[in-house]
Amino acid sequence: MLEIKSARKVFFKGQADEKIALNGLNLSLKTGDFGVVIGSNGAGKSSMLNAISGALILDTGKVQINETDVTGMPVYKRAAKLARVFQDPMKGTAASMTVAENMLLADLRSQKRRLRQGLNATRLAAYKERLALLGLGLENRLDTRVELLSGGQRQSLSLIMAVGGEPELLLLDEHTAALDPRTADIVMKATVKAVEALKLTTLMVTHNMQHAVDYGNRIIMLDAGKVRLEIGGEEKKQTTVADLIGHFAVKSDRMLLAS
Amino acid sequence: MAMIQDIFSSFVALVPVTLAQSLILAFVVLGIMIPFRMLSFPDLTSEGAFPLGGCVAGVLLAAGQSPLTAIAAALITGFAAGCCTAYIHLRFRIHTLLAGILMMTMLYSINLRIMGRSNLSVFGMESLFNWSPFGQPGFPSTKIAIAGALGLLVFVLLYLYFKTERGTGVRAVGSNPDMAEAQGINVWTATIGGVGLASAFSALSGSLMVQSQGFADVNMGLGILINGLAALMIGEAITGKQTVLRQLAAPFVGAVVYYQLVSLCLAAGMPPPDLKLATGLFVLLMLALPSLKRGRAPGAAREVMRE
Repeated sequence: MLEIKSARKVFFKGQADEKIALNGLNLSLKTGDFGVVIGSNGAGKSSMLNAISGALILDTGKVQINETDVTGMPVYKRAAKLARVFQDPMKGTAASMTVAENMLLADLRSQKRRLRQGLNATRLAAYKERLALLGLGLENRLDTRVELLSGGQRQSLSLIMAVGGEPELLLLDEHTAALDPRTADIVMKATVKAVEALKLTTLMVTHNMQHAVDYGNRIIMLDAGKVRLEIGGEEKKQTTVADLIGHFAVKSDRMLLAS
Repeated sequence: MAMIQDIFSSFVALVPVTLAQSLILAFVVLGIMIPFRMLSFPDLTSEGAFPLGGCVAGVLLAAGQSPLTAIAAALITGFAAGCCTAYIHLRFRIHTLLAGILMMTMLYSINLRIMGRSNLSVFGMESLFNWSPFGQPGFPSTKIAIAGALGLLVFVLLYLYFKTERGTGVRAVGSNPDMAEAQGINVWTATIGGVGLASAFSALSGSLMVQSQGFADVNMGLGILINGLAALMIGEAITGKQTVLRQLAAPFVGAVVYYQLVSLCLAAGMPPPDLKLATGLFVLLMLALPSLKRGRAPGAAREVMRE
């Protein structure tokens, strides 16, 4: 369960270029919910995700994950509760380390790291099995350094790393936006499969209106640092891309193209 | 022909002495490699930590303390110096190189304060190199055995550490700090601990050098950094750096080969004052090589260093 209460964040406070990123944002997501976040550029989507992950410290307001107040927790402590896949495939993996080592890093996300052997036979076998689910052949490249993988493979690896260990909250930050359509489709399908199989509480940011219509059980539309519209339940199932675009104050070409 | 023979025989005569020296200095190269390659934190502290270890050990040895006490004190003070550099960088967001320069400059005064004068003889005092069960005390063979064994021990321990859960986490901080943090790793602890450990090795090297040469000098660190960097480049060219094992072997292999090369150059009649220029040009060449090979075309993925 995720709860954001009147979150407020202002950048460059008191200066000419003052920017209100989050303006009293309230959001609540039940356990098992799959929320899709849409909104135009500058609406506060990234700020909201950063506020949840801890990369951004709120001026005022509160963030709760499963009854635990994480508002003042640094990123590395929140990591025990949440996992995140970034838009940039480079961001979510350690390039100079191998596929297996990256899996190990994610595997220990919510545990204490000890002075004992990291990669052992049991773990390697488990990683192999998990990577095989993608069908990209990554299971045979455990000793390959991640920098040698393609963007799509890296992003798929990021996803497997994120859903492993069943985080209490999964954050997807436009995680298919930097991929070619075919790879984006593979990663999106794998995402849905993992989220449904593990019943993960998920928040996905996207600019792709089709994705917003197709996936998840709730649509959350942000505007000017606030939730402008929420669609859930039966209404969500009836919603079309055209409906969604109608809700945008500014209809940009990008949105039309994306649909 | 006779000249070449002369050069060769004077070089061969120096091989054991040079080998002993290079095994001691291998720890500085290790102290440069760990922040640079494992943490992506180009660190200059070693130029101050090496004489720091030497001065601390020198004062304690001159006061009649045991060599082990002297070495332990050098390790602790070196660790503290490295922690300071890392903290300055993290807390005040000062560039890693500038943080290192600040620390090394301040350490010069601290080293002078510790010794109370610019050099100190510990000749004839108890030293680790007197403790060999075999070989005559003070001879190169004894130094080679002791420094070599110590080097091997450190190498094995570090290799095992970097393969543990915690060691893998530390390497992740060097590879991608943002990702490491998102995986629950405390970047501050890893960086401060890692750079501290590296400086402890530099100080260890200084304390061994003082026991080997029989005196401590505040200027003993002058140019150690560029020598160490040159040794690291040679080592990496020989061993490669794709795996933890290779990366860890590079400082030791590089130190041994580099100092023999220097010895060969000197035997061949290179004037000693030109040595730093030659070393500097060599390091420049090694660093420039990838970009020279590429020509003027924009590079592929560049290694990202912390700033």
